Amino acid sequence: MSSEPRPTDGDTTVIARTITRVVVPIIMLVAIALLLQGHNLPGGGFIAGVLTVTGFALIYVIYGLRYVEQELLHRTVVPRSLPISEGAAETDVDPPIIKEFGEIFTVGLALAAASGIVAMALGFPFLSQGVWFLAGVPLYGHMEVASALAFDLGVYLVVVGGLLTILAVVGAE
Amino acid sequence: MQPSQGTLVVALAVPFLAAAVTPLLYRVLGERIAYFGAAIAAVAFALIGTQIGTHGTVTIPWIPALDVSLALYVDGLSLLLGLIVSGIGILIFTYSGGYMHDEPGKAKFYTTLLVFMGAMLGVAFAADLLALFVFWELTSVSSFVLIGHYQDQADSQYAARKAMFITVAGGLFMLVGFLLLYTISGDALGTATFRLAGSGGMIENAGAMQEALRSAGLFVPVVALIAIGAAAKSAQVPLHIWLPNAMEAPTPVSAFLHSATMVKAGVYLVGRFRPLLSTPEWELVFAALGLLTMTVAAILAVAADDIKELLAYSTASHLGLIIAGFGLQSVYGAETGAFHILNHALFKAALFLVAGIVAHEAGTRLLSELGGLWRDLPITAAVAAIAALGMAGLPPFNGFYSKELLFEATVYTAEHAGGLWWLLPAVAVFGSIFTFLYSIRFLSLFFGEKPDALEHVHSPPLTMLAPPVVLAALAGIVGLGGVSATFGVHLGPLEHFVDRVVEAVGATDPHFGYHLPTSVTPAAVMSAITIGVGAVAYPSYGRIASVIERLIAIDPLRPNFYYDGLVGWLDRTTIVSGTVQTGRLRTYAIWLLLAVASLALAGYASAGVVLPAVSSIVADPAMVIVLAVAIVAALAVTRAPSHIAGVLTLSILGFMVAIFYILASAPDLALTQLVIETLVLVLFLLVLDKLPEFYGEVDRTRALRDGAVSAVVGVTVFLTVLISTAGTPGQPIAQYFIERAGVPADHGSTLLDFGGGGNIVNVILVDFRAFDTMGEISVIAMAAISVITLISMRERGESQ
Repeated sequence: MSSEPRPTDGDTTVIARTITRVVVPIIMLVAIALLLQGHNLPGGGFIAGVLTVTGFALIYVIYGLRYVEQELLHRTVVPRSLPISEGAAETDVDPPIIKEFGEIFTVGLALAAASGIVAMALGFPFLSQGVWFLAGVPLYGHMEVASALAFDLGVYLVVVGGLLTILAVVGAE
Repeated sequence: MQPSQGTLVVALAVPFLAAAVTPLLYRVLGERIAYFGAAIAAVAFALIGTQIGTHGTVTIPWIPALDVSLALYVDGLSLLLGLIVSGIGILIFTYSGGYMHDEPGKAKFYTTLLVFMGAMLGVAFAADLLALFVFWELTSVSSFVLIGHYQDQADSQYAARKAMFITVAGGLFMLVGFLLLYTISGDALGTATFRLAGSGGMIENAGAMQEALRSAGLFVPVVALIAIGAAAKSAQVPLHIWLPNAMEAPTPVSAFLHSATMVKAGVYLVGRFRPLLSTPEWELVFAALGLLTMTVAAILAVAADDIKELLAYSTASHLGLIIAGFGLQSVYGAETGAFHILNHALFKAALFLVAGIVAHEAGTRLLSELGGLWRDLPITAAVAAIAALGMAGLPPFNGFYSKELLFEATVYTAEHAGGLWWLLPAVAVFGSIFTFLYSIRFLSLFFGEKPDALEHVHSPPLTMLAPPVVLAALAGIVGLGGVSATFGVHLGPLEHFVDRVVEAVGATDPHFGYHLPTSVTPAAVMSAITIGVGAVAYPSYGRIASVIERLIAIDPLRPNFYYDGLVGWLDRTTIVSGTVQTGRLRTYAIWLLLAVASLALAGYASAGVVLPAVSSIVADPAMVIVLAVAIVAALAVTRAPSHIAGVLTLSILGFMVAIFYILASAPDLALTQLVIETLVLVLFLLVLDKLPEFYGEVDRTRALRDGAVSAVVGVTVFLTVLISTAGTPGQPIAQYFIERAGVPADHGSTLLDFGGGGNIVNVILVDFRAFDTMGEISVIAMAAISVITLISMRERGESQ
């Protein structure tokens, strides 16, 4: 981080780029591990979400906003006709990605709420959680599935979507 | 008979649910969404209609663990308002289908109108003061949106803002009154309650409540506070000034909100509180307020040239009549208010719809440019005749009977109290003369010669014509009921229904009936004087109007002069913009932090919190080192020469806190702190090169001020931590979490009673306290949406 980081151009050192390339997948993997093990070991949706965003933020800082949105995501994301893009069309940064981030936290919020409503539908108070113990799962043998994982996944998605939205919007400024 | 819980809840929920899907449905239905709205109103109307004859409270448990429930109360008054709101709602939605044809923003319009209808039903049926207040403010907010429907026009913006200021400010006064009542109810009823109506409520124990209020010296303040709330909402002098401006809204809104329903909320409040607070003080406040408004607004209406403005002042005037009726303690007073709510809703909504037709088809709303319209609009003219003559109080139209009742009530009060109270009947007659004058003036636009400037006037579409016809027909039937009653044939169901309303506003054992006067009573003489003087004065209408115009041109006599003066002064002065609203984030932060800190400190002081004695501090040497480093880092931040150094030093502080968490065996907290700290660091690096590299010279006074603010905040936080951690509840919940979080030794294939996780912190977050987490992630989503709207869309709103 010795060189001066510039968010919008590729003017960063090779060292920083290489390290980022190696480190970011590890960050993502750790984040997912934290999410999954959260029920029994330190971790959980919030921590995992923030860590994921940290990984993205690192790419933003080192590779620049345009690189992330055009090179990494543009290919996979089909830009739609968006209400957001109408006003911001003059700016050179294409903001459709914000729409996708927005969808992430929308889905997260819906998932969290839905996990609570499912409990209601089954006759329990809103947001009651349960655990299923599965026996005879291949490889694992014995497995514990907590319905709280769905809720935690919702938390994760909201945190990732929300923070990435802020990061992208503020970064575009 | 007990009202049905399910029916009421559905009737109340349907408008809100419909409002939620309206924006989506609009894409499918387009303009026909108006009929969807009408259908929703019809559903609510039918559901409420089934409850006629029931009486009582139903409670819907909401958060049973905290004993919070939504209570709905049904009696004559709430049914009357509920039926008016939903019934006129049907007609208004139908009418809007024709009227809003070429207007912009239809999805917003219908959504808000539905929300408003739901909120108004909530006001009608709420049994709790808090629920009443929430619905009340919701009507103010939806009214704000609807008045400002043409959001680009300066007039609409001015009108919407004015209505919002006045009604919401009035609502806050009312809230203070409610809170006082809540406190007093603790003394009077044993336990403090917000329950107003129904069993165990304040009204049921009106005697005890009045006594407790008096002994606390709060009786007059409470009456005054509620009067201010009601006056602001129901446009009573001098708070009536928002209503004429509110006519900027599309005409269906004026007919619905600003004549038939929302402005009735204040009147409803007065009627609702009448059994609780009806005393000589009450009589003085509300009779004076009502009659003053009735007269002043009627005089102002005579000077109006715009037909909607005329109707707006007339609405304020008639609301004054109702308030005066509810103010008077005699049973006639109660009957006046109860009956006139109905009559006014019928004729005034019809007149507004007529005004809308005229404006729509003739292209102008100015009385001076209109005339002889009956040739082009015969049906509309007939509707206007029935409604305007009712408004004038001419027999045998419906308004006549309620005005007779008012006269009767004022004479009754004057006879019993004597002295200055004789002013009441005099003022009532005086005000009614002006009512007569402007009603005939309104009607005159259909008769006489048609001005040459007026082009051919089209006939309105059926959807715009049918609603006023229905309303006028109903008004006509009410009026004819009085004629037939003179000969012994009563409109039984109507009279019975009004009986129930009269009962609800505090009269015992009422026998309501109305008919044409059959003998020379004082009230009949007063009506004769009103009509006679009105008829004599009408030829010199122009001269009267110009005298009034000259009178209201005198600035100190106009409430608007004060309003505009105050608002204009706030706009110009630098007192606010120089100290609070500077537009700089740091100023807002200072005010916010200081306000929070002082509120918290004042809370501790008033609760008499004692600082816990610190017995002994046993600290691990490792912790001491970590915390010492943190303190050094905190001090170093203030000395940092550049942003980079500052941010990095701040991170040292953050990471030290994380290590502290590890030492204190809180791995989850430590993890969270670590990732947040990292993210913040990375984010800072992202934006750092956009900031100036070095801090500027620091002004000494500003440094001192900032230092003082941070000291206050720091002390507050420190005290909060000390006090809140010292609390030792009787049954700590921690043990429950420890027992329930993990997996029990023997368990089946599913586990529902236990958290089933090894990490208690996480189990608390996602299971025991999942509702809190739900709220927190909603906040994150909201923050993201705010960022999107504030930054990405900021050009959008202006370019449209």
